[in-house]
Amino acid sequence: MPRRSYIEVFFAIFGSFLVIYIVLPIAFILIRQLAYPEMLINALHDEHVINALKNSLLTSTATVIIALSFGVPLGYVLARKEFRGKGAVQGVIDVPIVIPHSVVGIMLLTTFSNRILDSYIGIIMAMLFVSTSFTVNSSRDGFLAVDEKLEHVARTLGASKLRAFFSISLPLALPSILSGAIMTWARAMSEVGAILIVAYFPKTAQILVLEYFENFGLETSMPISVILIVLSISIFILLRWVIGKYAQA
Amino acid sequence: MLKLEKVSKSWTEFEIKNICLEIGDTEYLTILGPSGAGKTLFLELIAGIYTPDSGRILMDGKDITSLPPEKRNLAYIPQNYALFPHLTVYDNIAYGLKLRKIPNVRKEVEEIAKILGISHLLHRKPKTLSGGESQRVAIARALVIKPKLLLLDEPFSNLDIQTRTRLINEMRKLKSQLRFSALHVTHSLEEAIDLGDTVGIMLDGELVQIGEVREVFSRPVNDRVAKFLGFDNIFEGVAEGRILKVDGISIKLPAEAKGRVRIGIRPESILVSKNIIHSENVFKAKVTAFEDIGAVVRLTLKTGDIEFRAFVTRSFLFEMGMKSGMEVYIGFNTSDVYVFL
Repeated sequence: MPRRSYIEVFFAIFGSFLVIYIVLPIAFILIRQLAYPEMLINALHDEHVINALKNSLLTSTATVIIALSFGVPLGYVLARKEFRGKGAVQGVIDVPIVIPHSVVGIMLLTTFSNRILDSYIGIIMAMLFVSTSFTVNSSRDGFLAVDEKLEHVARTLGASKLRAFFSISLPLALPSILSGAIMTWARAMSEVGAILIVAYFPKTAQILVLEYFENFGLETSMPISVILIVLSISIFILLRWVIGKYAQA
Repeated sequence: MLKLEKVSKSWTEFEIKNICLEIGDTEYLTILGPSGAGKTLFLELIAGIYTPDSGRILMDGKDITSLPPEKRNLAYIPQNYALFPHLTVYDNIAYGLKLRKIPNVRKEVEEIAKILGISHLLHRKPKTLSGGESQRVAIARALVIKPKLLLLDEPFSNLDIQTRTRLINEMRKLKSQLRFSALHVTHSLEEAIDLGDTVGIMLDGELVQIGEVREVFSRPVNDRVAKFLGFDNIFEGVAEGRILKVDGISIKLPAEAKGRVRIGIRPESILVSKNIIHSENVFKAKVTAFEDIGAVVRLTLKTGDIEFRAFVTRSFLFEMGMKSGMEVYIGFNTSDVYVFL
């Protein structure tokens, strides 16, 4: 075997540590739960659990819709226009990634106080703050990858600016925009820190896990954790697959 | 039908300076210029994608300077063709027709596809097409909306020579069949010669010369144009009657001239031989350099203080046993000497 291959094999073994590290806990909790299937079934009949799951799905989906309606136009402007302060705008979009999520909760509560405390609006605002940059950035990248000449030609063929956007640029950027939206959705589903501070109620599944753990311990918080994992990962995989199909067509 | 009045625009690293131009109905104007001369910006100004900093653009007497592209009734084919990758060939061609709410889209698409020989491609996606096929689809998409003016940006530069020749011939036929005016920018001399009724030379954003192809190629207005058109030998000297004195040598001119004059001679017009040549202008010269430029070799030949450039074939070089420093004869006819004004 040539020397180069040895190095690649070594790197591959070394690198698989991370893959195993991610897969191991997921596999472990799933297998452990399978040993107690009746707890899982009980959890699925628990009204608290079902309501919390509904709340999580509802709020994170609403977050994605809001992120898309504001993020796609912003992404388009960032991709197509040069203007003073563009770098600053880009920086602002990326800021939420560096702020600890508990701090996000404190900031939102300080700014909007009782108007968002313990409400659906509060949950959605917390989710939007921490997850919107994914949609904006991937929209921008999606539009950047669309040759501007396509829009120019569409215009000369008789399309207005808006028509050219909807018939040419948007469909071509869509796979990228949607994969950003999935990241926004996934990030929203997994948000805890900010929600904990802004809106403990109405209770979302991720908060319920925490509550069960603190009140009843590890065993009790496990079934709902498993449900969350399975739900999130399946939706994630399904959406990625659908977008992959669309992008190929 | 199209008229430009002193159009100027500066955009990123490109600049268009003070362009005046007129294109008649069904005229095919080729704009020839090196890369970076601003040819694409020039087309996009006419297309309405950018607005000029100053000047006016008129179409059939109407000022269209600030009209958006969709209201100009012209078609634009960019260099990379810009076929819409998510649409089939059929939908690409039908795009402009659907926007115009034309009743029989299918019939129109099928008709133009037949003319361009792409009927069998209508269901395909652009990424499955060859370069020549893509080009035909782009032309079909542009012509199906019956534009008054077709703008083409280096349309044949990405194609192999056979496909290019075939498409150039077809363009000529289409032009007379469908009666549109065309503005075609290119850096290729062959394309300009083959296509244009009229050719314009664009250098550094300026339209330096415009006229009939034959005239522009034989009588460049200045030595910048001459250099670009391949006059490698440009000399300046003092003329007296039909004789030009350049750094101690005398060159016979095709016509009488007086005072400081510049002349140009194409490198392919210069004969090179070991033996004496019978020609109106003959000089003894020393070979000082060889440069391999593909099919031919460019020789640098020094006579007195001036250097001539001449093309010879590689086999000729080999047969002659040509070496650096060798003495040869060079010659050219006075009819191959161009006097620039």
